[in-house]
Amino acid sequence: MITQFLQRLLWLVVLVTAQMMVFNYIHILGYATPLPFVYLVLLFPLGTSRWSILLWAFVCGLLCDITSLTLGIGAAAMALVAFVQPVLLRLMTPKDAPEDMRPAFSTLGFWSYCNYAAILTALFALAYFALQSFTFNHIADLGIACGSSWLLTFIICLVFEALRDHKTEEQH
Amino acid sequence: MRALLDFIAKYYHWLIFIVLEGISFVLLFQFNHYQNSVWLTTANTVVGTVNEWEQRALRYITLGDVNEMLTQRNLLLEQNNRALAEYIETLTHDSTRSELLQADRLEGITLIPARVTTNSVMRRDNLMTIDAGYDDGVRPEMGVVSGTGVVGIVYMTAPHYAIVMPLLNSHSNISCRLRGSQYFGYLKWDGRSPLYAVLDDIPRHARFKVGDIVETSGFSAVFPAGLFMGKVHSIENSDDGLSYKLIVHLSIDFSRLQNVCVVAQEFQAEIRDLEQRADSLMNQ
Repeated sequence: MITQFLQRLLWLVVLVTAQMMVFNYIHILGYATPLPFVYLVLLFPLGTSRWSILLWAFVCGLLCDITSLTLGIGAAAMALVAFVQPVLLRLMTPKDAPEDMRPAFSTLGFWSYCNYAAILTALFALAYFALQSFTFNHIADLGIACGSSWLLTFIICLVFEALRDHKTEEQH
Repeated sequence: MRALLDFIAKYYHWLIFIVLEGISFVLLFQFNHYQNSVWLTTANTVVGTVNEWEQRALRYITLGDVNEMLTQRNLLLEQNNRALAEYIETLTHDSTRSELLQADRLEGITLIPARVTTNSVMRRDNLMTIDAGYDDGVRPEMGVVSGTGVVGIVYMTAPHYAIVMPLLNSHSNISCRLRGSQYFGYLKWDGRSPLYAVLDDIPRHARFKVGDIVETSGFSAVFPAGLFMGKVHSIENSDDGLSYKLIVHLSIDFSRLQNVCVVAQEFQAEIRDLEQRADSLMNQ
């Protein structure tokens, strides 16, 4: 229990620091900004209490907001993704899967995990950029920023997951 | 209470989600100037629209009072109009006498406003209930009018309500005349269309045409003279062939009637009493 908590805390610190130190400075062509701190929500295993996911996600979003001077935007988007994650994971998990199954390439399968990550990161990017622009007057710019940022975030999340999954397999 | 607690226990994650989103949005509007200004602009627009809807609804709700006031005003103006028309007609003869007649006709008439609570037009003997009764000064045999013409006669009264026998009742019988000609007859309803009534006993030598106005004759203590009843729609021979029978297009649509006024004439009770005594003497 405590190990799990410390692992999540470590992921939180790593993701917020990486966002603050590295990813906040990436603006490809002025549009694409990776937001991989959403990966924290992707980590939660099946059967985790929903209030716990919501609180972890909210705190992570809030910390990133404080370091990026976008107060409220990341927190709101992360809470939304955290609300949807358990439902989506339940839908994509095979019926015979264990109740505490961790979403990973090795447990869900490569394509299923890609779908799972794509949907959650897309939802996050959409909510984040909609709140940031707060208008649909420049919908083309919003679409480009949202789409390109989603792609970058999605790829980085897959890389994170590949590294974590590989490390877990090595430990076993 | 237990059901509420069960509900909260079952859907607590919704509550947490809403609270967290609420906190996020408060932070968003508090610390981001752009989002804050957009939010305020939108909120002001929404509040303005809601206020406008509220004002429209209030105006609509008070339409009943406005309608009642307009009905009374309409009646008063109609009386004035009729008096002025008669005044103009007699101006070439004796203006002083016309003025006296006009003042006499308007004097002593009190209008008691009322709303129609129940009404029917489909039966042969229709009755109508109004929300003014004995305590409001309404008495049997008083006339009932609306802004567009004569409705009927008060039949029975209770402290707060009264039953009115409208024109659309086979027992209704109102003395009327053709405006300008002074020929009079009795307006009755034949039980067919609620838009038409029959004016009997118009003499064969009378001169009139389709479209002429039919108004109260004033030959009873119920209605003052000159109240608009309707217009001549068509002309037929009476059953005995001795007089004309006029089909009158009534001025009132009884199926949509809402506001009426009871006409209380000052000496109505005295006149009726006198007429009853005279009748009883004649019958002896």
